[in-house]
Amino acid sequence: MTIIRTRHLLLIILAVGAGGLGLVDVSAFAESPPADVAAGRATYLQQCARCHGVTGRGDGRDAKRLYPRPRDLTSGMFKFRSTASGSAPTDQDLFGTLTNGLTAGGMPDWRHLDEPVRWQLVAYLKTLSTNFHDNPPQPLSVGTDPGRTRTNPATGKQVYEKLGCAACHGAHGRGNGSSAASLTDNWGMAIRPADLTQGWSYRGGGDPQAIAWRVLTGIDGSPMPSYAEAASPEDIWQLAYYVRSLQEEPRWTMIARVPRVVGTLPAAADDPRWEAVPRTDVRLRNVVSASGEMTAPPTVTAVSFKALHDGRSIAFRLTWHDPSEDRQPPDAFALVLQPEGVAGDVVTLQTWPLSDPPALDLYAWSAREAMVQEAIAKSYEPVLTGAAPVQGQRGAAHYDDGAWTLVVSRPLAPKTPHGAAILSPGRFAPVAFVVWDGGNAGQRAVSMWIDLTLQ
Amino acid sequence: MHQTQRATWVIGIGILVAIGCGDSQGSDAPRQLAQATEGSPEGRGTAPQGSATISGTVTFSGSAPAQERIKMDADPQCSLQHKEPVTKQEIVVNPNGTLQHVFVYVKQGLEGRTFPTSSQPVTLEQQGCLYHPRVIGLQVNQPLQILNSDSTLHNVNCKPVNSKPFNLAQPVKGMKTTKTFTAPEVMVKCVCNVHPWMAAYIGVLSHPYFNVTGDNGTFTLAGLPAGQYTIEAWHEKLGTQAQTVSVGDGDTKTVTFEFKAP
Repeated sequence: MTIIRTRHLLLIILAVGAGGLGLVDVSAFAESPPADVAAGRATYLQQCARCHGVTGRGDGRDAKRLYPRPRDLTSGMFKFRSTASGSAPTDQDLFGTLTNGLTAGGMPDWRHLDEPVRWQLVAYLKTLSTNFHDNPPQPLSVGTDPGRTRTNPATGKQVYEKLGCAACHGAHGRGNGSSAASLTDNWGMAIRPADLTQGWSYRGGGDPQAIAWRVLTGIDGSPMPSYAEAASPEDIWQLAYYVRSLQEEPRWTMIARVPRVVGTLPAAADDPRWEAVPRTDVRLRNVVSASGEMTAPPTVTAVSFKALHDGRSIAFRLTWHDPSEDRQPPDAFALVLQPEGVAGDVVTLQTWPLSDPPALDLYAWSAREAMVQEAIAKSYEPVLTGAAPVQGQRGAAHYDDGAWTLVVSRPLAPKTPHGAAILSPGRFAPVAFVVWDGGNAGQRAVSMWIDLTLQ
Repeated sequence: MHQTQRATWVIGIGILVAIGCGDSQGSDAPRQLAQATEGSPEGRGTAPQGSATISGTVTFSGSAPAQERIKMDADPQCSLQHKEPVTKQEIVVNPNGTLQHVFVYVKQGLEGRTFPTSSQPVTLEQQGCLYHPRVIGLQVNQPLQILNSDSTLHNVNCKPVNSKPFNLAQPVKGMKTTKTFTAPEVMVKCVCNVHPWMAAYIGVLSHPYFNVTGDNGTFTLAGLPAGQYTIEAWHEKLGTQAQTVSVGDGDTKTVTFEFKAP
């Protein structure tokens, strides 16, 4: 006992020391101390029950705000494992998920809880399901990581095709395969395949090692099957590095520079002048229903844009991934600006226009009208129903294999509608983005506000 | 543990073939059971010793609901295999008014007895983006061979509650995998998420007395020991029905189950 205590003390000292240096490596603390289930339960009720429920059934009071829903821990079925499909995860798997969280999902990381506390949670989680006893962990081996330089993207692409990945993830990995829209999880809820070009959105991690494990073990409860009996470790590593190569590095930024061009603004998406313009990526988040529920899996999770101005007008080139091209209900897009003369705080689009909303300047495009409209409005209705006066040009829109590209332009100081936002060089202008996916029950995804700065 | 048990049984028993492993195998069942009991002396004492038979018909009354068409267009590897439109196989009524895909089995009356497990695999084939057969009977620990005969990705997502679930990819034509279920369960559902119309149902039992109705709507449970049994008929959409039947040695009794249109 004394020995154990001493060892833990040492580990804690090491942990604190390493943490201070930003060098914490979770795998270094992989040893489980004696399980204290009661302590784990106390922590669980305090930290986890809010989403996963008091009894662990995934029905906590905030569960419906999340998509996918929090896992029913009593099922004993876990997504991110190093074990065979259907078997329980190892303690280390659970500890890893607690420690790292699930990227871009509802599950945060719990690094701020002391390591022994996380182990207590692991011990308690294992009491919630008989699966740990009935189907004990059956660890799999993914072989030796050959490293990127010993893999070949062309070979990896062949494996991607051979293993049928495109059926769900799409030919270019944009999550738009022919089966993507009809997938359901084991609880009957709609679920979407990962957009493999968005490495930051993979719940289990976007590095090749994490990808290899997901392919090998599958993601239990989701449609993603295990390839343990269908692919060799060599193929899995080729595939993992190929999938990693599909990822586009995001450029999240809060301030988007808008360079000035001499001459006319580009009207086409492939105009070479866009090349030199810095790209800005903006995260989108689906809005919850009025009752506080997230009712469908998000399909549009980010928008990328570039902008140029010529002193009179501003042109945007926007791209976003949407798994289907829809005209009824239509895919649609809105650029949101602050009406002229409005200063001070901006309203969050997560709640706009729920109650007593301030008016916003909506500059919108819809795949049905293929037309740009602008209105100062207290709801999205005017620009979505076609009631707003047509302003500016037709949007030059193009849909290709799961991605929309749209080029629109707008005067910096439009004469109509009355009160339209006036953009001017040297002044920050807040802008936010809204995307509707007609193929996903018209779900609306919104961004936070970022600033445009015209040069 | 299970491996050892199975190996012992395999040596001892020889070829006890589960009845009801396919739509058309019902008529073969009595002969196969007879082989198992007569032909392998090592197996005596654990193999079914009975000589009673319960057989019958599952009928359907009312008008059969229109079968919804399956849209396979999203995967040409599926749609190109079918010249005719494919409909959902949920309620299939035979021309003679009987019902297909009904799993009929002994639900009660065999408690306390043990039965050897057949080592002969039952095949669940994915062909034309449909499962063949759609309804299967299987003994505990009897191998289920899952075969992909299509040139497209299928995932086999079997969701038993009493045994270990699995979700395995079969991306290549000709791929096979063998699985077992370790505990009785009526029914285990298997689906393919890639082709959401695909569903198969597997009845897993600790004994070999089960059968699935085919295109003549009949079933036969042969080689039963004398006793009183609860016979249940299960249908994926129309629910279950049960009857109590008593048989003596050498008896043959006939029962009829009638399912009504929903």
